[in-house]
Amino acid sequence: MSERSGPKTPSLVSIDVGSVNTRAHFFDAVEGRYRFLASGEAPTTVGAPSFDLNVGVLAALEQLEELTGRPLLTERGLLISADEDDAVGANAVAATYSSGPPIKVVTVGLLEAVSLASVNKLVNTSYCQITESISLGDRRRPETVIDAIHQNLPDLIVLAGGTNRGASRSVIRMANYLALALTLIPEKERPDLLFVGNENLSEEIEALLGGQTRVHFAPNIRPSLDLENLGPAELALAEILYEIQAERLGGLELLQDLSGDPLMPTAKAFGRVVRFLSTVIDPPKGMLGVDLGASSTTVAAAINGDLYLSVHPGVGVGGGLRGMLRETHLSQIMRWLPAEISEDEVLDYLYNKPIYPNSLPVTAAELAIEQAAARQALRLAVGKSLSNMPAQGIYPLPGTVPWFDRILVSGSALTQAPNLQDSLMMTLDAVQPVGIATIILDQNNLAPAMGASADVNPLLAVQVLESNAFVNLGTVISPVGPARSGSTIMRMQMVQDGEKGPVLDIKQGGLYTVDLPQGVVADLYVQPLLSIDIGLGPGRGGWVRRVVGGAFGLIIDARGRPIQVPHQPERRQAALEAWQQTLAPHPLAQPLYEED
Amino acid sequence: MLAPVTYIQPLTTLRRRRVLPVEGFVMVNLGQVVRAGDDVARANLYSEHIMLDAGRALGVPAERMAKLLQRKPGEKVEEGDILAGRRGVTRRVLRAPASGRVAAVSGGQILLQVSDDSSRLKARVPGEVIDIEPGRGVIIESVCAWIQAAWGNGGLADGVLVFADGNHDHRLTADEIDMSQRGAIMIAGTCDQRQTLELAAQVPIRGLILGSMSTRLIPVAQKMPYPIVLTEGFGSMPMNADAHSILTNNSGEEATLNAQAGDLYKGERPEIIIPLQDAGRPPTPVDLQSFRLGLSVRVLHGPHHGAIGEITGLLASSTLFASGIRAPGAEIALAGGGEATVPLANLEVLG
Repeated sequence: MSERSGPKTPSLVSIDVGSVNTRAHFFDAVEGRYRFLASGEAPTTVGAPSFDLNVGVLAALEQLEELTGRPLLTERGLLISADEDDAVGANAVAATYSSGPPIKVVTVGLLEAVSLASVNKLVNTSYCQITESISLGDRRRPETVIDAIHQNLPDLIVLAGGTNRGASRSVIRMANYLALALTLIPEKERPDLLFVGNENLSEEIEALLGGQTRVHFAPNIRPSLDLENLGPAELALAEILYEIQAERLGGLELLQDLSGDPLMPTAKAFGRVVRFLSTVIDPPKGMLGVDLGASSTTVAAAINGDLYLSVHPGVGVGGGLRGMLRETHLSQIMRWLPAEISEDEVLDYLYNKPIYPNSLPVTAAELAIEQAAARQALRLAVGKSLSNMPAQGIYPLPGTVPWFDRILVSGSALTQAPNLQDSLMMTLDAVQPVGIATIILDQNNLAPAMGASADVNPLLAVQVLESNAFVNLGTVISPVGPARSGSTIMRMQMVQDGEKGPVLDIKQGGLYTVDLPQGVVADLYVQPLLSIDIGLGPGRGGWVRRVVGGAFGLIIDARGRPIQVPHQPERRQAALEAWQQTLAPHPLAQPLYEED
Repeated sequence: MLAPVTYIQPLTTLRRRRVLPVEGFVMVNLGQVVRAGDDVARANLYSEHIMLDAGRALGVPAERMAKLLQRKPGEKVEEGDILAGRRGVTRRVLRAPASGRVAAVSGGQILLQVSDDSSRLKARVPGEVIDIEPGRGVIIESVCAWIQAAWGNGGLADGVLVFADGNHDHRLTADEIDMSQRGAIMIAGTCDQRQTLELAAQVPIRGLILGSMSTRLIPVAQKMPYPIVLTEGFGSMPMNADAHSILTNNSGEEATLNAQAGDLYKGERPEIIIPLQDAGRPPTPVDLQSFRLGLSVRVLHGPHHGAIGEITGLLASSTLFASGIRAPGAEIALAGGGEATVPLANLEVLG
């Protein structure tokens, strides 16, 4: 991000070049606090016919100019002003990008469960597609592996292995294989290599591979067997990926020049916001962020500042439907349809959408299909991310996400739904949170901008996050555990301003809302029955203090984990309809708890 | 708002850059006229190798191997030739287990290339080679009728255009396939029968152009030995009127069916190219357009999918559609009569 002077409250334009749409946002100080003021949007133009992403950037900025009435553009592009009192241009620019084909990466490590697992995790923090993974345990003949690398024509090879006082001969052996594979590839097309293994071998690696290709070094991602350190390597990886994409995407370098600082991948900026927000939550509860895009989906989990970022290129609701369909049975999408729609109609929609990824659902049936696909895409991405969730989290049930105190939801399919009810239902159905979580909707898709601007202007990020640009959909309590459908699994009572509310009997399989206006704080007394767990331990309840109301008040999702949707079509539609109807204020029953 | 463009042109000058993924050899000359199926360049990409651990075979450390090498990278060898070792009766040597070429040597390992399956780049467009990028590829120019399509099964072929039936919504069935279509590129509106595709392969036809096809036929279509192109997409939509008209006017003519997969970043789409002789040098297509009144557009999605019309009104960004979505829209006077209100995101300009 560039900042042309050091004013107290500089205005900011953020630009996010997505795979389908390019967005420009304008932020400025209003009454001493930063506010998000307007956004412009245009189709992304990395492909035919212009092959220049700045065509889309300019169109988005022009729209922003129209909406704000503030002159932002000159003949030379975006106007950067040093004077914070100027009513023209912007004082600073932050830019992120997720557009471009996934980077093809070959990952190499020694042990599959150690260095290879870490290097795969590293590569999965960005828009990369692992085309080959090689370890000492690889049963293929070395020449088969070498031929595979040659024919794959990767964009990048990432080599890990050895702790800093550990293995060296095995690492050099793997590097030798790579040297042979690189020799087969014409010099101009050879992939760069990032070495993130035993730091004592850096000179040898340079001597062995430096003559073949450009070798980059980052600190060892496994400095010791029990320690994983991905952070510095993530930075190095982001820089390399930018260089690769800059050669492919027309206009990317110009955008970086405008921004001033290295362009940040959208997923990384999103992860940064999630990490930042996790620092204000008491561990071991943390923060989850999900960003459902057209071509890729990002899942970011963080506890106390430790970020676990997973990017899933090829899983999304535009071009990403192709990848999602390869890993999905049609019934996993059909189960979320609230009306009778034929399998053929669903298939036609799902296969046509990637051809025209920015097209919009026009009829109710199309919207239902799109939202069903969005649920499955997000469910798939969250499921694939479970192996990269914080081990120190609270897991009331195996195979689910851990207890996150807050869940940040981003991405057009979720945030641009016709109503907030749809956004909330899609999130609950796909993420299936446990414990007690507040759902925050990034309805203007601002999170990447916040992340990209956080370095230079953390105040802006904090104040905009606290503003009404983000919508609190409500706090969700999710009791989980073995119980028969329809049996009472929990009783709860809300106390607001000293006033006790009635007791609500929560039954297994139900979805409930309790009226708690936006921003209003209340305490809850909860009593799970039998071995039901709301994150406090099986059967354990008590006071839950300072629960904040959202657009749908307080929500109790007692549908179990994973949510069982009836197979029979009529019953399924009735259940989905009932759940949808639930998201409205709800009369309560008897008091359970009374103070002396 | 910027508009995506699909080219459906009765006469244009098409220029296409065709390059190898890696450096290789260009196989054609400047000014040469090529057919779509001709190879224009090749690269050594799919060769097979054998790795020989020379250090281990000779019992010497890797760093001493350089002195013992008898063959250099790039040299051809015959089976049994000595690759490394000292000469003499009692000395250990490493012999080539097969004929080939020494591809690389590193750290005591020798990589021997034993097959030469080079990757060949096809022209995919019929026309004249107007520029050569040495070692990489060519630019081909074609004066033609050009129809960009929505989906292709990956194939490529030339053939004579033959209609199964003159209607743009005609459903192609197996009983319409016979030996008279051998070598032809068939044209129809839709297809939903597996047998139809399989019977067409037995004839064999050279290719198939459809408006749309059942999604369930995708796995079958991808296995067919002939190219299949859908002008609209999946379902039972008829072929759009403009494409149908161009194909009708060129029925009986030779065409190229390039059923390549769509690639946004490379700007590649499946396409139908009909070379037109003696047509002069028509202009190349217009690249970039914004939505405006009077533009000819096609509907990409929703109830009017595939319909062609003209923009008669541009609507505000808060236009409400039946799905509940609010988005910028346009009023369209449909070519077949009637009007429709469509989100701009569901429209493309006909270039």
